[in-house]
Amino acid sequence: MTLIDPLDLDDPAVVKLGARLENFAVLGDDSATFLRILARAPQYAEALWDAMDEALFRDGVDHSLKEMIRIQLATKAGDPYFSSLRSKRAIAEGLTEDRIQASLGDFANDPQFTPAEIWALEYAFRMYRTPETVDAAFYDAGKELWTEPQIMELGGLIAIHYGLQVFMATLQASA
Amino acid sequence: MTEERIDEGIDSWRTSDAFTPAEKIALEYSELMQFEPDSIDASFYERLREHYSEEEIVELGTFIGFNVGYHTFFRTLDFYPMFSPDGVLVSQEESRRIYGDTPGSHLRAEVQDALGAPHETEEAS
Repeated sequence: MTLIDPLDLDDPAVVKLGARLENFAVLGDDSATFLRILARAPQYAEALWDAMDEALFRDGVDHSLKEMIRIQLATKAGDPYFSSLRSKRAIAEGLTEDRIQASLGDFANDPQFTPAEIWALEYAFRMYRTPETVDAAFYDAGKELWTEPQIMELGGLIAIHYGLQVFMATLQASA
Repeated sequence: MTEERIDEGIDSWRTSDAFTPAEKIALEYSELMQFEPDSIDASFYERLREHYSEEEIVELGTFIGFNVGYHTFFRTLDFYPMFSPDGVLVSQEESRRIYGDTPGSHLRAEVQDALGAPHETEEAS
């Protein structure tokens, strides 16, 4: 039950999403609830999901780290739907629930995370809590650990996934 | 679209006569998504449905969410448009001088100075 119901799987606007439904299933929801809501605005559905998909699954920054960031942001957004999903690809690559929970806690003092991972998790953590602290000094510290393209990849991931997860949170959807 | 209408849509849409009820609830949706997303509940969506189809609500909601996400990110990058309000290419430094350190109306004095336009106060005098 959501405040805007998903379209049925056989609705033409959903069928038109084609392989995107299978891509979405990798995120852990075979019924693709989010995509079927998005399909109500078909001109947005394809472009928005493609951007979210690229940000999360494109090879670049390690996918498991990006998955931890996505879950952290969904938790901040108060979104029970996206915060409950788990990427099948990340799990297959070795991401564990213990590690996910560690990324939601005191990650900065957790030796299982590298300095680069800690900076990336901190980047996401600060972005919508204390964006004024994401300043030149913070970016300079990041540039010692990541390339500028990687920082832009992380920033884009954080921005699009947080924004759409806030929207999903208002629909009160659950996984 | 005018700068006056943009300012009114940001600062005083609740009390303004310049917006229709449908426009007002869209502006409210945007404001709440940014600052009080927890307050967007079933009754708010019922109010939206009085003015918009579900297709339009999804379009508005995703547009707003996308912008909430990206504008916060862009803010941290500390960059400015590379052009003045009248479309002239300028440097980042010049752009910062024109637009100031915080977002604001294009009708304020420093932006009007950059355009060589008379200030409202000058017009009034």
